[in-house]
Amino acid sequence: MSLQTGSRRQPLDAVIVGIGESTVGRVPHLDALGLQRMAAVNACADAGLTFADIDGLLTTPIRVENWAMPCGVVSEGLGIQARYLATLDVAGASGVAMAHHAAMAVASGQCETVLCVAGQNMLSFQSCGDAVQKMADAGWAHPDFEAPHGPLVPTLYALAAQRHMHEYGTTPEQLAQVAVTMRENASLNPFAHKKDLISLADVMQSRMITSPLRMLDCALVSDGAVAFIVTTPERARDLRQAPVKLLGHGYGHSHTYIGDYKNVTTTGAVRSGQEAFAMAGLTPKDIDVAQLYDCFTITVLIELEDLGFCAKGEGGHFVQSQGIGLKSPLPVTTHGGLLSAGHPGLAGGMFHLTEGVRQLRGQAQARQVPKAEVVLVHGNGGIIGLHSTLILGKG
Amino acid sequence: MTATMNSLNSHQYWESLRTKGFCLPQCQACKEFHFYLRPACPACGGTEIEPVVVSGRGQLYSFSVVYRAPSAAFEKDVPYVVAIVATDEGPHLMTRLVGVKPDDVAIGMRVSVKDWRTSSLPAEPPSIGQAPPLFERAVP
Repeated sequence: MSLQTGSRRQPLDAVIVGIGESTVGRVPHLDALGLQRMAAVNACADAGLTFADIDGLLTTPIRVENWAMPCGVVSEGLGIQARYLATLDVAGASGVAMAHHAAMAVASGQCETVLCVAGQNMLSFQSCGDAVQKMADAGWAHPDFEAPHGPLVPTLYALAAQRHMHEYGTTPEQLAQVAVTMRENASLNPFAHKKDLISLADVMQSRMITSPLRMLDCALVSDGAVAFIVTTPERARDLRQAPVKLLGHGYGHSHTYIGDYKNVTTTGAVRSGQEAFAMAGLTPKDIDVAQLYDCFTITVLIELEDLGFCAKGEGGHFVQSQGIGLKSPLPVTTHGGLLSAGHPGLAGGMFHLTEGVRQLRGQAQARQVPKAEVVLVHGNGGIIGLHSTLILGKG
Repeated sequence: MTATMNSLNSHQYWESLRTKGFCLPQCQACKEFHFYLRPACPACGGTEIEPVVVSGRGQLYSFSVVYRAPSAAFEKDVPYVVAIVATDEGPHLMTRLVGVKPDDVAIGMRVSVKDWRTSSLPAEPPSIGQAPPLFERAVP
């Protein structure tokens, strides 16, 4: 695939200066707005800002409460006077895309300081059965041509996993290694939803949901919210934290529905990665931490390949031979990801970004990767077809 | 540019399936088949699209055996095989593979569309818009 956008694509002159999360896991006493407020307050406190300093707002749609106008609900709920606001939806890639959109607003002078915030009660405001059924009916499978056959959302990813195993010899053990590593990372993360360590055998003996994916190959369903703040380098100078720069970004869209896509083991992450690396003037070898989207174990293997960390088909071998844990050459998703730290819907991918910022600041505590200078954050949306890649560095 | 509205719609597609047998949408300008239905041909942008009867044969591209139904409507079927078929005409499509034990399903196996008119299950013709075609192991 050629990159025809050429030299006009430049890094955006904007920095991330604040990050925050709500309580994550089962948080029944707060609704979506309460969770988002907690995350936003934490992000402001982290930056040394108040809501009065915020003049831009980005949020995402939520699923479990009826919000027809999320950016209006959140802006009013937090008392923000926004001169720029929008509800952004790039499916699971929304978290990464929000940082990019906020940076575009800031770098083009539309506003000075954008709060990006999202989250909801995926877990405690609905039963597990309702969550599964709602997801299956939500249109991730084509409503006319796919959903009537009865796929779960995990089935749609299982179709990619099964094909990957067929083409490249990827094994259930290799998939399970991803889940085990994510839980190890989560066990060191104070806000993670699941912290109890699991073994390869635990994953491979967990309930088969939709072959080859078992229960522990699938993301959690969590309550929680995440927030981060983007502003100008000038504004960042007198704020509390060292700023984090956006070095490069890119998008890629290979397909929408999985059924008619003819090469399910190669995705739009190829393009989003190439675009991001080209803009940053970097290569995969320069990445110290890869915050990869991990809605299912197979997603991580395919992203490792498509983003260029290993050759196509070698994702399973890569994970098994060199590992992706904190002490490996390329630590992946150090907070524990959607598989173990938490997954409250479209906000899930924002945790990958806030953790990436922590790594660059040297604030990741027990999860800190030594000398983390460049972090890649990747968001995957839909059925492994919508991708957004961001490369972050010290400001 | 004025949009034309002569492209095949979902209702016409289901009706063709019911009356003629297994069809794929075909662009009348470039003659490429595609799936799923779109307002214009994904190959050339043509909007004159017709349902054309095809072989109904293909190869299993991928599959997943579903053990946990997404809703009560599917519980009686568990475990069942959701599959992607690469049709001999080109397009890939999602379907349900029936009449094959989960352990016997293999990527690459030849499959063919299950014709409701000649088989015992389902006994009734598919109701429009609700039952895209099922596939089974191909008869050699």
